Amino acid sequence: MPRYIVERTFGEGLHIPVDAAGAQICLTVVDRNADEGVTWVHSYVSDDKSKTFCVYDAPSPEAIRKTAGKNSLPVDSITQVSVLDPYFYR
Amino acid sequence: MARALVDAHKKGVLLERSEQLAVLAEQLEAVTTQKAGRLVLVGGEAGVGKTALVRHFADSQPGARVLIGACDPLFTPRPLGPLLDVAQATQGEFLDLVLAGRRPHEITAALTKELRRRPATVILEDLQWADEATLDVLRLLGHRLDDVAALVVVTYRDDELDRSHPLRLLLGELRTETTVRVKLSRLSAAAVNELARPSGMDGEELYRQTGGNPFFVTEVLAAGPADIPHSVRDAVLARAGRVSPEARTLLDAVATVPPRAELWMLESLAPNEFGRLDECIASGMLLADGSGVAFRHELARIAVAETVSPDRALALNRRALVILSQPPRGAADLARLAHHAEAAHDAGAVLRFAPAAGARASALGAHREAAAQYARALAYSEGMPAKKLAELLQHHSHECFLIDRFDPAIASEKRALGIYREAADRTKEGDSLQRLSHLQRCGGRSREADESIHAAIDILETQPESRELCLAYAGMAMVCMNADDTDGTFKYGAMAMSLAERFGDTESLVHVLNTVGTMEMLTGDLRVGREKLERSLELAMEGEFDEHVGRAYLNLADVMVKLRIYEGFDEMIERGLDYCTGRGLDLWRLYLHDSRAEAQMQQGHFTEAVQTADLVLRNQETYLPRFLALVVVGRVRARRGDPEVWRLLDEARSIAIADNELQLLGVVSAARAEAAWLEGRLEAVRDETEDAFARALRLKARNYTGELAVWRRRAGIEDGDLPIEVPAQWAAELEGDHVRAGRIWTELGCPYDAALALSGSDEEASLRDSLAELQRLGARAAAALVARRLRELGARGLPRGPRESTRENAFLLTQRETEVLELIAKGLRDADIAERLFLSEKTVNHHVSSILRKLEVSTRTQAAAQLR
Repeated sequence: MPRYIVERTFGEGLHIPVDAAGAQICLTVVDRNADEGVTWVHSYVSDDKSKTFCVYDAPSPEAIRKTAGKNSLPVDSITQVSVLDPYFYR
Repeated sequence: MARALVDAHKKGVLLERSEQLAVLAEQLEAVTTQKAGRLVLVGGEAGVGKTALVRHFADSQPGARVLIGACDPLFTPRPLGPLLDVAQATQGEFLDLVLAGRRPHEITAALTKELRRRPATVILEDLQWADEATLDVLRLLGHRLDDVAALVVVTYRDDELDRSHPLRLLLGELRTETTVRVKLSRLSAAAVNELARPSGMDGEELYRQTGGNPFFVTEVLAAGPADIPHSVRDAVLARAGRVSPEARTLLDAVATVPPRAELWMLESLAPNEFGRLDECIASGMLLADGSGVAFRHELARIAVAETVSPDRALALNRRALVILSQPPRGAADLARLAHHAEAAHDAGAVLRFAPAAGARASALGAHREAAAQYARALAYSEGMPAKKLAELLQHHSHECFLIDRFDPAIASEKRALGIYREAADRTKEGDSLQRLSHLQRCGGRSREADESIHAAIDILETQPESRELCLAYAGMAMVCMNADDTDGTFKYGAMAMSLAERFGDTESLVHVLNTVGTMEMLTGDLRVGREKLERSLELAMEGEFDEHVGRAYLNLADVMVKLRIYEGFDEMIERGLDYCTGRGLDLWRLYLHDSRAEAQMQQGHFTEAVQTADLVLRNQETYLPRFLALVVVGRVRARRGDPEVWRLLDEARSIAIADNELQLLGVVSAARAEAAWLEGRLEAVRDETEDAFARALRLKARNYTGELAVWRRRAGIEDGDLPIEVPAQWAAELEGDHVRAGRIWTELGCPYDAALALSGSDEEASLRDSLAELQRLGARAAAALVARRLRELGARGLPRGPRESTRENAFLLTQRETEVLELIAKGLRDADIAERLFLSEKTVNHHVSSILRKLEVSTRTQAAAQLR
């Protein structure tokens, strides 16, 4: 399955509390993604929490947009990526 | 042991299924209170207890009306098999229609009428084996649930559906508002332990060996306390090994005649052992249902059937064939006869029953099953009289064509052609060539189609004037239309029309009216063309020329999309889809999805467009219908700035090149030019458009010429004045009047095209309008180009555009506002909301006023009501 980086901008910052409620938010997102065969691998969040760079495995860009809509998450751009490992680069 | 489990069931205990039962009860409740239908899909692996679940649910509604039907595990299932079961219970008009072999749309209408008259829960089991006609009924029923207060429950093995399984394709088309999915998993170790306890068996070991598959667990417990068998099959056979040898012989006989053995049949099939039926039922291997018996589970039937020796299986199949051909009442079941004829290797019987079963399946709209029956007959056709064989081949070819399988369709027609040629039957030869041409054209082989139709006309013109010649002229007109050859279309169209009238041949007339009407509309004669198309549609419906009805809808849709006419478009597509589904016309259904996807894209509904296109693309075995779907998804990705544009547009181009018609090359060239332009690769636009543009000019095809000329102009290519007049929206831009072009596009209902036309302007105001519109549409790639131009012109303070999540929301609420609204609906005060969301109370206050303004309401209660 292709891998993507999805860039998102949160005008008011992304605030997911680090507690049971926060975990529940994440799991809800994961569940909704599963309907479309989308896997949220993990995200990098900017220090001011206004931008995220999310790593996804998904069948297509449309599947990512669909789950973003269901989860009310913004999408700036979707880029297909592959891994470059500097220590095993030949 | 087994008793314990049976007792547990009787006591109404079903382990670890309370959640699923609650969903079923909830949906039934919703049907009763809301007076609208619901569809529940119960999925799970074989033996996981789908039947147990739905039967338990049915038993828990004493007095309620429950109608149950099951699909056959036959290689080629009986068309409408499960609905026949249902009809046996309802009797009346519905039964009459199913027995008469009516088509899916009539069956669905009768079923909905029956359900309105007397509400019921309908359970359809084992849909993974369903025939095409049954799936079409379910598809139609799924779209009518708003008007039928019925609960429909279907079960299927979700792990046996590969990507292009017909059921999977159907599941993708069901409406989400009325559909609920229920998934059954295996039992937990705790549950298996609980089941094992009364037997004294090691529950942990039982769980390890069976993995918690309920059917496996039950079989092991029933087989007794010996070592736990390693497979379901061993467990079943261990249980079967506990009955007497005579009873075991009887089990073999039942296993040979799926899906179920009627008592009258079994009595003749195993006369000496028939008396042991009670023992088989008492052992739990067979279930009795009044007039017949069946294995408790298909897994058990297969396990037993596999142990029957080949010679005994042959003998049983031969006997079954004789018995089934003389049923005590009613007509013989052709699909079952064909099945046993093949299993008995009885060529004569296969040739007698399989084509008859094929004809019946075809009449029911179950074209997939019909094609399979004809193929079955062809496998036994050695030594068949040539003329008969040619007819069989043409039947096979036609059914394959109807289900979008062109390779076998063309191969069979070519064999038929060879036979007619050898027999020097010139008229049949010409007719066969005419059919072949049609198949080749629809299969994306236009060059071959061209050759075949010329050869057909050459041959038929040497013969006395015939209906076949008329069909060939009509075919030629269609070939010309598809090649955008206006003169050829009208010339051959006129010849076909005069012959059709002379012969009074409605089918040819329908065919040619369709073609000529389409061309007239495309060349600007809207009213006259549309009249011809509508007349063709009407005549085709009257005469039940299904294929031509499908084609009429398709051509109408195609013309409307090309001319950007959207008024009444959706209604027309819905009618067309309904018609094609009701008659098993898969190919045209896919094309109609294509047209709808393109229209949605043109109107700026990108999300809907890719969803519609996906209905075509998920069908992996289709070929030509993929073309437009690929273009739509590729174009939408390019417009949104999403990745993987070129893989799709490359595949579309290779289909277009193989097909070699402007109607494909023109479309894919424009799409590729747009994608290159959006990437800023202006120099690539010339290459992408050169061939198609030259061909469009040569054929004087106004639409393609206009669109391609505009793309070339946007890339800075100067083509000078065009020798032909093109539609106004393109002409305006070519004249440099971007504002007027934008206005025409807006009037046509194409906001994206309007914004692109404006994007070529030098006026800051126009560019700002263009940018705002592109941002609204989520066309990130084009918006970036326009923003850059504006910055180059020195414009400041450009909007970044609303975010994706805002656009998905009907009221344009932001994500945060949606969260706040949800909490308001829960009755929380601002202070509570602030605490919950880690915001200040003032900020929440601000959000609330914004929500009230956007929803155009004045109180929090009214706002909360919008959520429901």
